[in-house]
Amino acid sequence: MFVRNCWYVAAWSTELSQDTPVARKILNEPVVMFRTASGKAGALEDRCRHRGLPLSAGEVDGEVIRCGYHGLEFAVDGACVKVPGQDLIPSSCKVRSYPLVEQDAVVWIWMGDPALADPSSIVEYPWHRPNSGWAWKSDTYLINCHYELLHDNLLDLSHLGYVHQKTIGGDPNTHVNAEMKTTRVDNNVRVVRWMRDSVPPPTYVNAVGFTGRVDRWQEIEFWPGTLRIWTGATEVDSGAYEGKRDGGFQLRIFDGITPETEDTALYFWSSAHNFKIDQPDVTNQIFEEIAYTFNEDRCVLELQQKRLNDDPMKSIVDINADIGGIQARRIIQRLIEKEAATAPTAVAAE
Amino acid sequence: MSAVQSCRDQESIVWHPVCAAARVTESDPVAVKIGNKRIAVYRLPDGELSALDDVCPHEFALLSKGFVEDGEIECPLHQARFEIRSGKCHGPLADRDLHKFPVKVEGGDVYVAI
Repeated sequence: MFVRNCWYVAAWSTELSQDTPVARKILNEPVVMFRTASGKAGALEDRCRHRGLPLSAGEVDGEVIRCGYHGLEFAVDGACVKVPGQDLIPSSCKVRSYPLVEQDAVVWIWMGDPALADPSSIVEYPWHRPNSGWAWKSDTYLINCHYELLHDNLLDLSHLGYVHQKTIGGDPNTHVNAEMKTTRVDNNVRVVRWMRDSVPPPTYVNAVGFTGRVDRWQEIEFWPGTLRIWTGATEVDSGAYEGKRDGGFQLRIFDGITPETEDTALYFWSSAHNFKIDQPDVTNQIFEEIAYTFNEDRCVLELQQKRLNDDPMKSIVDINADIGGIQARRIIQRLIEKEAATAPTAVAAE
Repeated sequence: MSAVQSCRDQESIVWHPVCAAARVTESDPVAVKIGNKRIAVYRLPDGELSALDDVCPHEFALLSKGFVEDGEIECPLHQARFEIRSGKCHGPLADRDLHKFPVKVEGGDVYVAI
C-alpha cells in the first residue's frame, strides 16, 4: 500500500537529458522520464500504447519520445503526435502523463490524482541551491526492503552507535542517552536529539579536527516521501544548544524515499556540508563516508526484511526510541486510509 | 505494627524537588525519577500543574515523551490517551488510570510528594 497523493523524488535533475530516457518503477508503475530539446521534463507511463514496448527503449527527438518498435511519438503530456504510415491518430492512443516538477535539483513526481498536485506542497531543500553556502553530492540506491523500514531507520538514529560506530556513530551510550523530543504537525514529524557534552564521532573529528568534547545535535524531519536531516556539533558549551550552531561541524542529509514496489524502495540521498565548500575532495570524502554508512544501513535493512518475510504476521515490540518511526507510520496509514475512502468518488468522476 | 514503623508511615509523604517551575510548559512536561518511581509534571492551560505516573500502564513507554493535545497526553508508542488533570485513562490498550501525585510550587521550584 502506498500514499499516492504525494510528491515523490523520481530522479535528480542532472539525470534527465535528451540522450537517454530514465526508466524507473514508482509505486509499481513503470515510468519513463526525459528532457526535450526545449528543456521540458516529462514523465510518462513507460509502455507504448500500441504494442507495449517500454518507451524508455526508444529515443528522445526534439519535443517527443519515439517508440523504438514502430516509431509512434509521444509528447510530454502523453499525447501521441505521430503514428508512422497513417494520417489519423486513434483517439485512445495516448499514455498517462505524470505531473513533474523540478525544484532544488530534484525531479518530483506526483503519482496520484493530477487535480490535487500542488507544487507548493513539495518539501523545500534550499541547501541544494547555488550560492546556498553548502556543497553537496548525491546518489541513488535501490534497497530491497519496504519503504517504511527506511523511515524507521532514519527517524531512530539511536542505531548510529551500533550500526555506524566507526564513522558517524561513535560511542553507543552517547546515542542511547540522548535527549529526545518528538513533535508532530499534520503530515510532518520532527525528532530533535541532543547529545550534550559528548565525545565527537570519527567523521566529525576527521572533518574539522575537534580536540575535545562537543554538544551534538540531530534534527530529523519527516514528510511522506521526504526526510531532511540536520546534524552537527560545536565545541562543548559554545552555545549550540541555545541556538548558536555556526562553526564546528554541520551536515545535512536529504532523503527521498520512493516506493518502487511493496518490497523495494528507491533511496535518493545527498550529503551537504557548509565548511571547506570550495574543496571538492572534502565534499567527496564526506560523501564517501555517508555512502559507507548507508551501505551499512542497507545490509541491516535487507537482512531485516528477509527475516520479517519469513513470518510476516509475527509481532514486533516497540521501544521508546521508536516514537518518530511510529508517528511516521501513523501518518502513512492515515493517508492511505483517506485515499482509499475517497477513491471510488475519484473513479466515478473520471 | 511497631511504633517506629507507624511513625515512618506518618512521615512517608515527602516533598521532592523536581525543577524550576518555569521549566514546565504546556508543550514540554518534565520527567523525573524519584527512587524507582517515574513521574511526569505537566502544565495545564490554566497554569495549574499536574504530576502523573510517567510510565504507560500498557507497555513500557514514557508518557512525557508523548503528545500533549486537548488536555490529554497521548502515549507516543500505542496512542493510549490520559486526561492530564486527573490521570483518567481513555485507552486504547491501556486500561488503568494514572496515579496522580500531590504537586506544589514553592520558591519558584516544583515539588512532588510520593
